[in-house]
Amino acid sequence: MEQRANFAHPVSERQNHNIKKEHSAQRQDTLAARLRAGDRTAAAELVDVYYQQIYLYMRRLGHDRQVSEDLTQESFLNAWYNIGQLRDGRALNSWLYRIAGNVSRLYWRRHKGKEAAGIEDIDVPDSSDAQWDKAGHREQLEQLKNAVARLPIKLRQAVVLHYMQQLTIAEAAEAAGVRPGTFKSRLNRALKALRKRVI
Amino acid sequence: MENEKLKKLLNEAAEQVSEPVRPGLNEDIKHQIPHRLLRHKGGWNTINIIIDLRMSKLTAAAVIIITMILLASFFGGRDSMGDGIFQDSMLLIRYWSRGRGAYSSVVSAGRSKYEHLLNRGEDVAWYGDSIDPKDNNAVLMQRKLPDGKYGVMFVDGRERQVNAEELIKLLTPMLQKKTK
Repeated sequence: MEQRANFAHPVSERQNHNIKKEHSAQRQDTLAARLRAGDRTAAAELVDVYYQQIYLYMRRLGHDRQVSEDLTQESFLNAWYNIGQLRDGRALNSWLYRIAGNVSRLYWRRHKGKEAAGIEDIDVPDSSDAQWDKAGHREQLEQLKNAVARLPIKLRQAVVLHYMQQLTIAEAAEAAGVRPGTFKSRLNRALKALRKRVI
Repeated sequence: MENEKLKKLLNEAAEQVSEPVRPGLNEDIKHQIPHRLLRHKGGWNTINIIIDLRMSKLTAAAVIIITMILLASFFGGRDSMGDGIFQDSMLLIRYWSRGRGAYSSVVSAGRSKYEHLLNRGEDVAWYGDSIDPKDNNAVLMQRKLPDGKYGVMFVDGRERQVNAEELIKLLTPMLQKKTK
């Protein structure tokens, strides 16, 4: 059974969320079929649906703004030339995230000395929510963001894919190119490391 | 911190942590969509192999030379160590090594050629163990050619055909240094 990183929604909202998710899955299947058929408008639609997600994925993996933009473009460019890998029954977002993950990995390999920008550098919009005004909570969140940025890349990728990009375990595992069991193990290791670092 | 609380915090972070994407990024990406989105050949499962090798120029040159020799020996049979390929290899060594380590590269390449010729039963002599690397006219090896001349290979990788008298002139200073 697939787990989703969703703890804050009440039951009715979760049902709503599941319905939306089902619609989204159908939409993804249709889009994937059109892409496989070589439909250029489907490619443009893919960009509109995913470019923000892929950009944020890059940022959360620790790339700075400019590099994230470049890598987002490169990810889509790779996607156009790898449409043959988009097979029936394969989730569209896992396929795209996997390509993006590979692009990011290659970048880190080419720039070994470069430090991760870290998601702590991402602008957090002001919120009027009282919860976010609590200094302790904000501090904890800052600690968590710093801790995520310091995780090894594979563990950071697992946390970002599942908890921040909101992919299911199965989708995230496919995006990371590992079996679900391996992915869960990475998540557990990441959580263990984070638990130690966040008070 | 408990796991559940940590997961909840991560979820909250995901909801809160975001930044606006540069307007126009999606249009930039759309401009790169190829005119024809082509699949790979139907029914074929394809894989991408991405190799990121980091090696020195000298190693790369050695790999290229070995590959060329292996390919030539596969397609060219016995004459794989013919002068054409050997000369190309020497040129590559000299180009890539640019002075530093060039001597040892030339000597090792010459030694390989010497051993190959020896195995082929040719009349060949090796002087590479006792030569002065600074002397560009030092003879690395010589072999007798079917027309009575001698093929001479110098320490800087040059090759020349000489007659017996010229060969003696070339070898005399070397042998005199050796006897001293």
